[in-house]
Amino acid sequence: MLTILIGVLEEGLVYAILALGVYITYKILDFPDLSVDGTFPLGGAITAELIIAGVNPILTLFISFIVGALAGILTGIIHVKLKVRDLLSGIIMMTALYSINLRIAGANVPIFSKESIFENKFLDILIPEVFQPYLVLTILLIIIIIMKVLLDQYLKTKSGYLLRAVGDNDALVTSLAKDKGTVKIVGLALANAFVALAGSVYVQKSGFFEISTGTGAIVIGLASVIIGTNLFKKFSFIKATTAVIAGSIIYKGCVAIAISFGMVTSDMKLVTAILFLAILIISGDRKRRVKSNA
Amino acid sequence: MKKILSITFILVLTVSILTGCGTKETTGNGQVDDQVTIGIGQFAEHPSLDNCRKGFLAGLAEEGYIENDNLKVLFDNAQTDGGNATQIATNFMAKKVDLICGIATPMAQSAYGTAKDSDIPVIFTAVSDPVLAELAKEDNTPVGNVTGTSDKLPVKEQLEMIRSILPEAKTIGILYTTSEANSVSTIEVYKELASQYDFEIVESGIATTADIPLATDNLLQKVDCISNLTDNTVVSSLPVILEKAKDKNIPVFGSEVEQVKIGCLAAFGIDYYDLGVQTGKMAAQVLKGEKKASEMNFETIEGASFYGNTAVATQLGITLPIDLVSSAKEMFDNILE
Repeated sequence: MLTILIGVLEEGLVYAILALGVYITYKILDFPDLSVDGTFPLGGAITAELIIAGVNPILTLFISFIVGALAGILTGIIHVKLKVRDLLSGIIMMTALYSINLRIAGANVPIFSKESIFENKFLDILIPEVFQPYLVLTILLIIIIIMKVLLDQYLKTKSGYLLRAVGDNDALVTSLAKDKGTVKIVGLALANAFVALAGSVYVQKSGFFEISTGTGAIVIGLASVIIGTNLFKKFSFIKATTAVIAGSIIYKGCVAIAISFGMVTSDMKLVTAILFLAILIISGDRKRRVKSNA
Repeated sequence: MKKILSITFILVLTVSILTGCGTKETTGNGQVDDQVTIGIGQFAEHPSLDNCRKGFLAGLAEEGYIENDNLKVLFDNAQTDGGNATQIATNFMAKKVDLICGIATPMAQSAYGTAKDSDIPVIFTAVSDPVLAELAKEDNTPVGNVTGTSDKLPVKEQLEMIRSILPEAKTIGILYTTSEANSVSTIEVYKELASQYDFEIVESGIATTADIPLATDNLLQKVDCISNLTDNTVVSSLPVILEKAKDKNIPVFGSEVEQVKIGCLAAFGIDYYDLGVQTGKMAAQVLKGEKKASEMNFETIEGASFYGNTAVATQLGITLPIDLVSSAKEMFDNILE
């Protein structure tokens, strides 16, 4: 039971970083950003290559974050400057990144034998044997808390307020004599930076990069955001970012339960779709959204 | 309220349908005291890998581990999704299986990556290059509690065979998926060895199944024959390639027996069933506690063999050299549709 719980928490926390990114685009910016399916493996590809080149594993987290931001800026430029529809900009970026990721890393890059943020000489000396089973979980918790606090703080800054204003009422941004396009680009950069960071952590945790891992990252992210924000909607004292992290863990929990009931892994997409729909129907979220899109 | 009820109903229904037909785990009927549970994760659904799994269970059975008797088998297929592979490995860990078997490279890596910090041994099979995949060290010794078998293609023998069947041929075309590591590394071996047999390799990398028809048309313009790898994407679309090649009267060589059955002219390949049996015996040693996975070097299968299809040869107007035919492990005289 404990193994299952730790497994769910670990998986949930890795994808929670990704979910925070998706939260920025989907909830704050109201932008369905599909580039996530490309930026998640992008972070992983870069991390795998850098670690093989001997770069410090912690440094690869920062580099992945920055490269993810660059990819987000490109999506933003395609949408804002080249005036391509939001959904299409993401699809274009995702498609391009598939080839780019293969160019960066190739199909499969193992880093089992290299040091990572979860396994290095420093930790071996510092951490006693008994604590070993909780090590990965603890490191993930530290990362997610840092990222959550940083995001919360950012959203309180002027730039953060503008970001939220673009999603809610972009006329307001224009009336403040600010360019809403630039704000959107900033939001996409930040979101994809989070996603690439998640990719970096994922690869270091699993010990290898595999190109097919990106497929469906956006769905996991969306599921986490929708589950989290809708389940905790009534608890106003819980911050949306906390809710999203919880959503990611709950989602992974649901998957674990479904599998332990004897479902096979390939059924999970259907389970996700149904879970998705169920939560949207219960919360009544879809009506507002459909109206606002019409 | 009605809404919530109906949703709950849908959910329950779906879960029950899926669990009804989706369950692949088999519970033992004759409960033996020393019952063991193993988890088998397979990366893709594809005849060679399926044969590998069947062989694996047969190998275990030979050593006294009979499925549904004293062996409980949990099976799941990742359907070529790396995320699924990790999920499968995590699930096996949670179920506290006695051993995990990973079929094909990404599944083997997921299993090893997930079970690394536990005491669950991992046995892999159908991994072309365990050293490159970091599942074994340079000197072929294990990197951890993990060992298994490799399905490295006998490229040299394949080239020799093509040369003796087609003495005039100059170019060999190879279709492969750029995202499949096994294929990328095998292509390199082909390129390295081709000149020894006066061949030139024309490669064509694809991304998805949808690219295959166009890539095949393009490749068939440039080559004298096609040689196949064990590329998951290409093998699943092999009938499309065979059909197009037949129209142009260009021979297609396979990489294992299943491909010859469905219309490749010939193959010099390994038998995935035998590979599975060999792997199953290794797993049995680990389960019995005779050896630890961390003490066993990975194994490759001895002796690749020739497989030919005389029906395809007649279609193409080619006579297969008699010495090859007489040494064949199996010859086919019809094309399996």
